[in-house]
Amino acid sequence: MEDLLNFAKGPLFRFSFAVMLLGLLRLFVLSLINGFEAKKKAPDKSIPKGYVRKLTWGYLFPIRAFRTKPIYSLVSIIFHIGFILTPLLLYSHALLFSESIGFSWMGISLSKPVADNLALITIFAGIILLLLRLTSKITRSISRKQDYLWLLLLVVPFITGYVCSAVVTEPATYKTFLTIHVLSGDFIFIFMPFTKIAHCILLPLSQWVTARSWKFVPEAGENIEKILGKEGQKL
Amino acid sequence: MERINKFKLVLWIILGIALAAGITRFIFGLGATTNLSDTTPWGFWIGFDVMGGVALAAGGFVIAAFNYIFGRKEFHSISRAAILTAFLGYVAVVIGLLFDLGLPWNIWHMIIFWNPHSPLFEVGWCVMLYLTVLFLEFMPVVLERFPNLHLLSKIHKVLTKIRIPLVVLGIMLSTLHQSSLGSLFLTMPYRLHPLWWSPILPVIFFVSAICLGLMMVIVENMTSSYLYKREFEENILGKLSRIAVYLLLFYLVLRFGDIIIRGAGIFLFQASWGTYLFWLELALTVFIPLIIFIIPKLRKQPNFLYLGALSGVFGIVLNRLNVGGLTHLTNLTKSGSFYFPSWLELSISAGVVSLAMLAFFYFIENYSVWDEKPKDIDSEPLTVPKFNTNYVYLGPTKTANRVKFSFAFVIAFGLAFALISGKHIYSKGFDKTPVYKARGGDTLLIDGNRNGYGVMFPHKFHGDSIKIACGKCHHLNKPKDKNTQCFECHNDMYLTGDAFRHDWHTSAQGANLNCFECHKHNVNKGEEFRGNMAAITKLCLKCHNDLFPADVKVKILKTYVTLSYTDAMHKLCINCHKERLAADSLLRKSKPGLALCSNCHPKPAQYSAEHKLFTKQNVNKWVVVPPRLK
Repeated sequence: MEDLLNFAKGPLFRFSFAVMLLGLLRLFVLSLINGFEAKKKAPDKSIPKGYVRKLTWGYLFPIRAFRTKPIYSLVSIIFHIGFILTPLLLYSHALLFSESIGFSWMGISLSKPVADNLALITIFAGIILLLLRLTSKITRSISRKQDYLWLLLLVVPFITGYVCSAVVTEPATYKTFLTIHVLSGDFIFIFMPFTKIAHCILLPLSQWVTARSWKFVPEAGENIEKILGKEGQKL
Repeated sequence: MERINKFKLVLWIILGIALAAGITRFIFGLGATTNLSDTTPWGFWIGFDVMGGVALAAGGFVIAAFNYIFGRKEFHSISRAAILTAFLGYVAVVIGLLFDLGLPWNIWHMIIFWNPHSPLFEVGWCVMLYLTVLFLEFMPVVLERFPNLHLLSKIHKVLTKIRIPLVVLGIMLSTLHQSSLGSLFLTMPYRLHPLWWSPILPVIFFVSAICLGLMMVIVENMTSSYLYKREFEENILGKLSRIAVYLLLFYLVLRFGDIIIRGAGIFLFQASWGTYLFWLELALTVFIPLIIFIIPKLRKQPNFLYLGALSGVFGIVLNRLNVGGLTHLTNLTKSGSFYFPSWLELSISAGVVSLAMLAFFYFIENYSVWDEKPKDIDSEPLTVPKFNTNYVYLGPTKTANRVKFSFAFVIAFGLAFALISGKHIYSKGFDKTPVYKARGGDTLLIDGNRNGYGVMFPHKFHGDSIKIACGKCHHLNKPKDKNTQCFECHNDMYLTGDAFRHDWHTSAQGANLNCFECHKHNVNKGEEFRGNMAAITKLCLKCHNDLFPADVKVKILKTYVTLSYTDAMHKLCINCHKERLAADSLLRKSKPGLALCSNCHPKPAQYSAEHKLFTKQNVNKWVVVPPRLK
């Protein structure tokens, strides 16, 4: 167990962290290049800028979605905030960074009760998201296996992290949970640039690239039935 | 996949590894990445990147001289590629040098703070100027592509007009610094092996650089032709090899004449590492190429021509490595430190070379470096992708390459970064020197590392005759112990120790305590742990009430970091002796040297060669964050 933990926080962590950072950067640069190349080849060089801007902002700050799907939007926003802030601003993580590379952001880290509660909230938000995905027929029909798996995998480090921080005190159990925590974090990092989680870096670009390379009719997404000529048909 | 793409993929992988190594070098320093030491401060980076790189780039000025000065116009078709190789070679030298310099941001100092007596100063200036000259020589090739831009075409015109002066300047600068790299080693006749050190080292360097330049042009031309599946200039390369024959013969005569006239011939036939290296180097540099280049039957076969040129290239690079560090007597004899480059050093050098190669391919593909450009991959008619579930279509070749190369780069970077262990990141530092118990009864022999050089300490005298309290020295006991000896806590000769062992207290095999038996339970990790660790942590005395002996005056335990054995002994003895001297005027007269070194160390220490302070530490391979004692 000790060896596995050391391996997970040592070589495996360095590998996964490097792959995540560089892999996400690679995706960003590749999609930028692809976007510009698409422009070079396209006969019609115009892009619907206003529409792209509106959609991108809509995805980044989904305030408008409250009108149609209030619960889902709220839970999703909470999940995202918790998912990003908790690990990033956790004091223990900042401490690890300062121990290994010499500088860190310990000054702005969260206090323990805030971090613990945020982790709990994130876990519950994740579970609610999973339930929402399971209960709705539409989302179930467009979900793949990995969509469910991802949600579960994302929640694992939060659960184990919370257990380590607030529940267990006995060393052997603590180390077991810590090992699961680090390992699941490593796997998330490794798979991040190669799966749908890459939306964290691709989101600002995705609408732009789509508008450049695919040339869909503006607002095709909202009026998909009308555009395809399948109005009034059953799902 | 085509040849060139496979090759590029390998280059990108190497580049990924090198980037990881480079980042480690710049964050954690030279000690963390290299095997260099104070006795071997110049290693692979100087020998290969700088001296080898400069020599490898000699092809530029040699071909330029033949083409523009000696009027051998037949070399024109390879001159552009040769100049490009030289330019990229010098860029690689500069990049490689930045890794090796301890303070790379001070590289501009040479421009302002002149030291005209130093060969390195001359080398620096020449490399800088020659890099500029090469840039200007190659610039027209890039500018050709933009005939419509007015300003650029004007610059192009000016540059083509001043080409001959530029070439002359380039040859002059090359002559100066190719030889000056040899002059650097003139100052160390007692350090460099006698088969290499010579008063005419600058001349040897210059002649070998010209040989290398010719052979490097052959290698570069044949390699790139092979990769791009193109006919290489057999005729021209044959001519080059014939010129190389004369130069190699001259080099051979020069080398052996120098050795024999200097009287170093006795070293030629010894059974020693230095001699073997010498013969290996000469075989690669001179004998193999000469045999191949002289016999026309062999020379006409491309494989043999390539083999000969490649062996020459390896030989002269080996020569630079030998002079640059391998054959220094510190490295060859037993008393010195043995140097062999670490894999991080090798990977950074390989990365710099592959960066230069990728740049070379970029220029070849996008500018008219050759008479005819290589086939544009994208101009091929698009093939219809096969819809196979096992096969992912990544787009046309160029796009697919982009995806593949960047993927390989990222994975290689990650793997290399994972392999750079905590050992590297935390530098090697000192080796542990365990301390052994002091022996004896009434008189103790204090010899912590048992190197035979100890201090005779009259223990009984201090306790019984002059009545020093036991607690003065035995200031702390281990739990459930009495009169704990010095070596138990001060357990390293030169390093600070850990008298508490946090790991042991928390481990299941040890004390198996949970965190909150010592740290306050209601602590907020986010806040109070930050600065005030002492306030929320129980003192050792709460659990172990037998730590202090009865006669200790000051019962405070501030830290569990223990001094090194030597520091602890010296601090205790010297301070006490000084206090006694200051307090007792009678003692000042009878024993004035009580607080001096010679009081306890009557004989000076003898150096023992076996004892090494700086040796490799092999523990903690996987641990990223070793317990740092603050």
